[in-house]
Amino acid sequence: MSEQNQGWSRRNFLTSTAASTMSVALLDRAAGAAPADEPKADPRSPVSLSLNVNGSTRRVALDARTTLLDALREHIGLTGSKKGCDHGQCGACTVMVDGKRVLSCLTLAAAAQGREVTTIEGLASADGTLHPMQQAFIDHDAFQCGYCTPGQIMSAVACVKEGHANSESEIREYMSGNLCRCACYPNIVDAITGAKPKMKEA
Amino acid sequence: MNRAAPDPKQNMGKPEPRLEGRLKVTGEARYASDMPVNNPAFAFLITSPVAKGQITAIDLADAKAVPGVLDIFTHENTGDLKHLKYDPQGGGGSTSIQDFGPKIQHDGQIIGMVVADTYEAAREAAYKAKFEIATEKPSAGFHSEGVKEASPKKSEPKAGDAEKAFDDAAVKFEGWYGTPTQHHNPIELFTTTVAWNNDELTVYEPSQFMYGLKNSLASKVGVKPEKVRAISHFVGGAFGSKAQLTPRTGLVALAAKRLNRPVKLVATRDQGFTIATYRAETQHKIRIGAQRDGKITSFQHQGWELTSRPDAYAVGGVEDSARLYSFGAVKTDVKNVHADRNTPGFMRSPPVVPYIYALESAMDELAYQLKMDPVELRRVNDGMKDATGKEWSSRSLMQCYDEAAAAFGWSKRNAEPGSMRDGDWLIGWGCASAVYPTHMGPAAARVQFSADGQARVQIAAHEIGTGILTVVGQIAAERLGIPVENVRVEVGDSVLPPAPVAGGSTQTASCCSVVAKACDAINARLNANGGTPAPAPRETVGTGTGRNHEETFARLGVATLEEYAEQVPKEVKPNPVMGLVVDPMKKLYSGSSMLGGGSHAEKLMYALGAEFVEVRVHRLTREIRVPRIVGAFAAGRIMNTRTARSQYMGGMIWGISSALHEATEIDPRYARYTNDNLADYIIPVNADIQQLEVILVPEKDDLVNPVGVKGIGELANVGTAAAVANAVFHATGVRVRELPIRLEKLLTA
Ligand code: FES
Ligand code: FES
Repeated sequence: MSEQNQGWSRRNFLTSTAASTMSVALLDRAAGAAPADEPKADPRSPVSLSLNVNGSTRRVALDARTTLLDALREHIGLTGSKKGCDHGQCGACTVMVDGKRVLSCLTLAAAAQGREVTTIEGLASADGTLHPMQQAFIDHDAFQCGYCTPGQIMSAVACVKEGHANSESEIREYMSGNLCRCACYPNIVDAITGAKPKMKEA
Repeated sequence: MNRAAPDPKQNMGKPEPRLEGRLKVTGEARYASDMPVNNPAFAFLITSPVAKGQITAIDLADAKAVPGVLDIFTHENTGDLKHLKYDPQGGGGSTSIQDFGPKIQHDGQIIGMVVADTYEAAREAAYKAKFEIATEKPSAGFHSEGVKEASPKKSEPKAGDAEKAFDDAAVKFEGWYGTPTQHHNPIELFTTTVAWNNDELTVYEPSQFMYGLKNSLASKVGVKPEKVRAISHFVGGAFGSKAQLTPRTGLVALAAKRLNRPVKLVATRDQGFTIATYRAETQHKIRIGAQRDGKITSFQHQGWELTSRPDAYAVGGVEDSARLYSFGAVKTDVKNVHADRNTPGFMRSPPVVPYIYALESAMDELAYQLKMDPVELRRVNDGMKDATGKEWSSRSLMQCYDEAAAAFGWSKRNAEPGSMRDGDWLIGWGCASAVYPTHMGPAAARVQFSADGQARVQIAAHEIGTGILTVVGQIAAERLGIPVENVRVEVGDSVLPPAPVAGGSTQTASCCSVVAKACDAINARLNANGGTPAPAPRETVGTGTGRNHEETFARLGVATLEEYAEQVPKEVKPNPVMGLVVDPMKKLYSGSSMLGGGSHAEKLMYALGAEFVEVRVHRLTREIRVPRIVGAFAAGRIMNTRTARSQYMGGMIWGISSALHEATEIDPRYARYTNDNLADYIIPVNADIQQLEVILVPEKDDLVNPVGVKGIGELANVGTAAAVANAVFHATGVRVRELPIRLEKLLTA
């Protein structure tokens, strides 16, 4: 995308990220739709869910309105995913659902049932070896306060896997849904450029 | 090549990677709202939908009927909370407006809080609570009816007869400038978790001042400070917004006490715009008189700053604008304008961002009037003394200009506005100075050194992203002569010895000085017992190679040596208050920060820099892009070139943001913020930033403090907005004097 379009595409990007998240929710509802005559349950009464997070199964009983982000942070104890806006505007809550980056604040936990959720805690190997993207973020000092970082790294891994890391300007464009108020953007671009070949090897 | 880790030049430390890097990339770094507490209840704030009025009735029936709701707090049942003194210096309260009603004094004032078993129930109930409010017409800003102008107690430098010098000047310039309201918007939200254990409480809240949080909360809830422990291991960005006690914290503590259960609050993004502080809008009138050769004989700077009704918060950046160049005569003035708004506060480089924007824009306008290169205009007015005759401790402004200009290619500039083009794009090049006072505060630290060569450093400093953990580790490693991997640094907990507020760019200088002192005391004990002396402090930091002390420790009959040190910078003098001499260290322990340095020290102590910006403005649409920016900075000793470069980089991007993106919009009818979310409050995204180059200019200054460090976290976003504005003028011939510069302001031309 050419540079002059970026003001517009920033908005586009946010919309399309939100849209892909919503489609997960809708798909799921369609798959698990209740028969029409069943009495309407109070959405507040806890729903039993079993969520597959970072390869292990977590059983939780949650208010049906609970987002995937709050389920992870407040009920499952995985606080790596961050809340920066709760509105799909900052990217701090980015996780992978079935290998695609998703804003967990815009995803209901119930919609993640039966899907594979990967969070920042699930990125390194079991032996503690960091994912090449995590190491590149350290090497290129791609964070300061570190609060946006879990979301940036999840997005960065997806950006490479989606094939959107072919040039610096493409990386900038496809990483523009993740805000960094410390403004580490040039270092984030360098980290992704550096990690990309290593992700291929790994 | 790794741009993130520049090779150290003279008087610079190694680019050690951040000590907490692994924790931050794995999600293991625990920020305040990540700290586990047992069976927390969840809180949701209720904020006022009007800016001025009186709550006449509250109906909580529907809200309380929501299953899971435990209690609802309003002004009717929170009278136990004490009033905290408003302290514009940091530490105390962020505002005098601390009550939750019945009087409403600004939009978004907290008027209630629901606590429930779940976040979802608390949120539902918050929207079901009904408040009847008799509303009054508020005054929103500078141009509203009913605002009140007053003089805050700010120093207003004056030297010579600036008015006469202006009248006599061969070349005269007069200009008005304006800067908008801005909000810090760290990505981490304003969160507070409080857990009581009998009469003791622990508060987990992101903080730039652990001892301020501890002591202020103790006063707010009426317990002794020793009953409060504040924990904030990592802070998800602060930029000035987390240095004072906001009204939410006492409320959460009170709720946790009443419910006898930990309570967790994560305020929403829009609430964050009104429950904490912000950078207030400012206006400036500048008058400059100069000789034909560019020498400035008269500089006059008047500033107006918006604030709340009760609080006289003013940044008063004339203190710094009046010193930047060797002006002949100076006259300055600062006024507050009180409106029905929340109380503003520090935001990254509080005084200098607005005031230096005004000065550095005026310098560019003057350069055009004089038909002089703007860099040469700065050179003509560069000097080691200000108008009052005070001398600089060190000053490398023109070195910064020369290095940045060379890297940028400034000599190829055609000064004529609109003369440089690339197809449909008008190219503009502009520059400006960056300046930030060098501050330092009292600090204390404890260091342990063991026979196995491991060290442990304890100081209640604040890891807000500046890299304080790493540079403290480096200074300890250097002084003890051990590798930095051998140092464990503990920060962010009020049980540790106190560090000053992480504001005013004080942390590195203050913390490194006191940690060095504690390490030196350990060395003295080792040397007295036949230990090998630590290697002499080096030009470069953190190159410790290891030192074997096992024999010395054996002789001493201990496994570990421990030293506690306190350091009060000489600029911070004990204050005689009502006949009593207040010890700065005692004040620090009791939660107030006293900073010294800048223009108040014996010499003028400042870090300086120069920034050069290229903008491209589309001929037809007037879209503005910044394809490249170069900044060169000199700030005494650089502890770590990696973390220093990152801070400068972040600052420069903040400056671009100030120039082109960010502003909080206010509805003038209702005195309410209208763009209180991250999609409408525009900050740069990755695609907004292209080429960015940071140049570290070597400088040595042993006067500023024992480690020779000048603060850098707030330097690089100063002047940037002027550099961008100057470049926009060069591209288009349009001078925009009100930030931010949005394309509609260029369409009128
Ligand atoms: S918290 Fe999900 S996008 Fe901001
Ligand atoms: S590192 Fe602080 S917000 Fe990105």
